[in-house]
Amino acid sequence: MRVGFQEELEQLDAALHEEGTLVLRSLRGALNALVDQDAELADEVIAFDDEVDRRYVAIEEGIESLLARQTPVAGDLRFVLAVLHVNLHLERIADYCVTIAKLVKLAPPVAPERLFVDAFQEMGARAEEMIRVALDSFATRNAEQAETLVQLDELIDRANRRFVQHVLSFGRDPTLQEWGLRMLLVSRCFERIGDHAVDIGERTAYVATGEFREFTDASH
Amino acid sequence: MSEMEAAVAEKKTALDVAPRTADVPRDVVFDVRDLTVRYGGNPALAGVSLEIHEHAVTAFIGPSGCGKSTFIRCFNRMNDLIPGAGVEGSVLYRGQDLYGRDVDPVTVRQLIGMVFQKPNPFPKSIYDNVAFGPRVLGWKRGLDERVERALRQAALWDEVKDRLKESALSLSGGQQQRLCIARALAVEPEVILMDEPASALDPISTARIEDLMAELKRDYTIVIVTHNMQQAARVADMTAFFSVDVSSGGRTGVLVEYDRTEAIFTKPRDRRTEDYVTGRFG
Repeated sequence: MRVGFQEELEQLDAALHEEGTLVLRSLRGALNALVDQDAELADEVIAFDDEVDRRYVAIEEGIESLLARQTPVAGDLRFVLAVLHVNLHLERIADYCVTIAKLVKLAPPVAPERLFVDAFQEMGARAEEMIRVALDSFATRNAEQAETLVQLDELIDRANRRFVQHVLSFGRDPTLQEWGLRMLLVSRCFERIGDHAVDIGERTAYVATGEFREFTDASH
Repeated sequence: MSEMEAAVAEKKTALDVAPRTADVPRDVVFDVRDLTVRYGGNPALAGVSLEIHEHAVTAFIGPSGCGKSTFIRCFNRMNDLIPGAGVEGSVLYRGQDLYGRDVDPVTVRQLIGMVFQKPNPFPKSIYDNVAFGPRVLGWKRGLDERVERALRQAALWDEVKDRLKESALSLSGGQQQRLCIARALAVEPEVILMDEPASALDPISTARIEDLMAELKRDYTIVIVTHNMQQAARVADMTAFFSVDVSSGGRTGVLVEYDRTEAIFTKPRDRRTEDYVTGRFG
């Protein structure tokens, strides 16, 4: 039993979980800034990304050190390689939260119809749920749970398509058009967050089964 | 030498209250300055300077003939026992020159214990092996407790507590090596030197010795020589890479690079270190 090595693996697991918690906070902040059109909160979300980036770099450096010193094999190796990927996916998700926050600030001041607010709420809640499921299934190496992300992703994709249809129905008002254009990008960010959550799920299945396979082509 | 013992005692007391986190700079136990060792006239090792920090595992790695075993033997004056060996430069232990005229090598070896490549228990009982050192030093009180403590620290107690009177030679190789570690710990050293401590052991026994090093460094300072580069990577906080210099016609060991183990194995500064750790050497 290599006690020190096992402890390092557990620390890596814990660090990834912490990063995931920060990403969820970032998403919650971006969603609130969006719904409330709160520029101040948007700035906070943008600044908060430095915190996520610090965790991201620390995890990557930890993996570099672990690989160099401990030469993990078999399940340990798969876990370390998976953390390397999941770390990147989480960092990307946080970047999408920053993009949403920036778009909140860039969009012209339009009081969105209830329809749009509900759509944002739905996509935000689904993205949040997907990140939670992705993190939980990774933590418990539960490949079956990870695969449920595909169905959740389908829901967020549908919401995104509906949102596009709503925006396309806008008239020729330039302010409304600009707002719609920005919000299409916001919708796209939620959709991409869902894709990254599915990718995390695929890494979970890889750790658990030793086989890497894409759950579905539609995740790209 | 009593001055040195007092210095050590003072250090240990201070450490009891000092925080021991990774970020706290560690005290220097050994300060080696421009050390050259000769066997006969030829230098086996030349111009080595480095510091060994307390409560750390420091590993010496390098190819055969690079002088790493010669070097570790300087820390408890084991080279004194080799005819024709000469040491130049200095090895300061807690600021005191180990090779000073008033220094008794026997006391040095009590404070700075050593474990060798092959387990070398005495042909005596398990108990007597561990009790040997304390008895020589006249430490008669609490001998049973001392033996138990040393065996516990060496992670051997549970396996031998019911057979302490049996011959040490009845133990497996890995158990014998831990017995030798317990024997070294029984005389309350501050430093444990290990020269290839696991090279004669199977992988499971090796892993136990490596785990033990991680445990022991809380209370002791550990210096190891290892042929197994990955072992250094796994267990050491600091790693020194030695190589062989043939430019003067002979074969002289030199210190190439000394750094945190992580740095040695991820971004070595010297090309020779990079070649050695990546397996491109020789």
